[in-house]
Amino acid sequence: MAAVTAHGAPTLPRSSAWLLLTPALAMFILFFAVPFLTMATMSVLSGNPMVVPNPRFTTRHFERILDDVYYLETLWITVRLGLSTTIVSLLIGYPLALWLARARSRTTRTLLMMAVLAPMMMGLVVRTYAWLAMYSNRGVINGSLAWLGLTDEPIQFLGSEAAVVVALAHIYVPFMILTLSGVIARIDTRLEEAARGLGASSAAAFLQVTLPLSMPGILAGSLLVFALAISAYVTPIVIGNYNIQTLPMLVYQQISSSFNLGFAAALGIVLLIVALLLVGAYNRVMARAPGAA
Amino acid sequence: MLNRRTLLGAAAGTLAMPTLLGAQEANTLRITGWGGAWGEVMRSKHIPTFEKAHNCTVEVDTAFPFVPKLLASPRGRPVYDVLHTNSNEQWSVFEQGLVERRPDLKLVPNAAKTYPYATSDSIVGIVIFTSAIGLAWRKDRIQAAPASWKDFWKPEYAGKRASYVIPANSLGQALFMMAGKVYGKGFKDLDASFKAMEAVKPVRLFDFTGGAENAILAGELDIAVLHDTAAYRNQDKVPVEFAAPSEGVMALEQVLSVTTGTPKKALAHEWINFMLSQEVQRSMAETVWYSPVRSDLTLAEKYRGKLLTTPEQVATLVQMPWQWYNENKDRIDDRVNRIFRG
Repeated sequence: MAAVTAHGAPTLPRSSAWLLLTPALAMFILFFAVPFLTMATMSVLSGNPMVVPNPRFTTRHFERILDDVYYLETLWITVRLGLSTTIVSLLIGYPLALWLARARSRTTRTLLMMAVLAPMMMGLVVRTYAWLAMYSNRGVINGSLAWLGLTDEPIQFLGSEAAVVVALAHIYVPFMILTLSGVIARIDTRLEEAARGLGASSAAAFLQVTLPLSMPGILAGSLLVFALAISAYVTPIVIGNYNIQTLPMLVYQQISSSFNLGFAAALGIVLLIVALLLVGAYNRVMARAPGAA
Repeated sequence: MLNRRTLLGAAAGTLAMPTLLGAQEANTLRITGWGGAWGEVMRSKHIPTFEKAHNCTVEVDTAFPFVPKLLASPRGRPVYDVLHTNSNEQWSVFEQGLVERRPDLKLVPNAAKTYPYATSDSIVGIVIFTSAIGLAWRKDRIQAAPASWKDFWKPEYAGKRASYVIPANSLGQALFMMAGKVYGKGFKDLDASFKAMEAVKPVRLFDFTGGAENAILAGELDIAVLHDTAAYRNQDKVPVEFAAPSEGVMALEQVLSVTTGTPKKALAHEWINFMLSQEVQRSMAETVWYSPVRSDLTLAEKYRGKLLTTPEQVATLVQMPWQWYNENKDRIDDRVNRIFRG
């Protein structure tokens, strides 16, 4: 029989709670903990235990990363790409999420939701190749510019960081909008009305009431987009034309063509550590922001 | 309602399941292969023929990359029985002890009918087909046909030429070595190759050959390092031509090897022998434009002068020193990554 807490809420016996937790725990162990531990182990072994009978403990993969400025620069480019994509997605996504959350007409909400979800129905690769068609020498942008007589030679969009960020933002902005709109919809509009009633302008009411109250959504959406952007592979390699090199590209290179699983694992661990540090710092800053829970 | 007979039948079936699955497993040949036009012809024609003749099932993995999956499978129980890749990867897996140096040629009678390059010292496994890596170019954009590899570096093709991400693509790696020969002392002249890679920028880089093929077919680019197969099979659709540079065309070999420890060695050798049969060699040449390795084939007029079938044509093929390349791959990757980074 369920016990009752001091607040009157029923609680489950400990054994039942563990039973309910088991499926989630098993999934977590199987699909996160085991792969992560395998990767961590591979990163400090001298060889693949499947092939080398007695691999030794080594730190050489991490030394290689730390000793060569190239890998640190690539790490910085990866993080920079993640931050830029997050900022652009937030700037595009916030107004749309606000509109979606506050639209009075059900038709408008439905149409907006369809517009947000439609790109997500297409695969990531399809969307990336759509951007390739936009950016290429004879693509939509260069074709239009040439047709208008504005350019003689095509502009080389492919290979620029801005082109990669725009494509990534287009792909990930729906994640930002969906996360934000849920939070914004729960903000009581009477709070804004009260602020305006007390003499605040619309802009001031938004900046001092709505924006701070939507911080949990900004935090969740940003973390989601940042995590997706720093681990992106297809878009940076197709649109970046190898000018833009990121850590996931190096990880894939090491696994698929150099077959150096240890070094690939070390690169993955470094990316994970840096991402966790950034996420932790961001969480801290946002938690102190006014309006955050 | 469940009666005793049904219950006994179900129990017997359940008990027999592992044996049945084991029997099916023992009769399944696991191989790697390509998708696209290659995969279509194999699936529709040749695989069913082989399955019928040998009373077996052939499972093809077309999800590249194959080698990491082979690396991750337990020793003595490889995930594939026959590994089909290009020659550069075969050297890597051989050095890790995952494939045999050469199939047992006594079990592959058709190997006696092949050109010597199919089993040359520079090959691990056995070559079943080859393509020539040269320059594909658009006849509607370029006036004079390229004649030398050096033409690829001409300033007028800046931003309009296609090559490959060198760490990931064997055509890119082959071009890297050829640049050493054309601009330096030979395939192993790293300094000359690195300088040539600096000079080839701006260039569109692809990780898969299909990307460059699509770009040149769409008219997006004017010239690309490409295999003849890709150019010839599209000539009826677009004005694309293939040029064999004077310094030689590089061989892009399709290689089969038997994995170390496979329990289906006999069937694996049967498969290799089948792929070298007259029927498969002719069919893949005439439908997918791969040069056969058999020396006793006479193809239709349409293919002569294009596919490499005569001893004189085969002599123009350059086999690249992949063993040396793989030994230096990390060093080369490190440097080219820096060269092509913006």
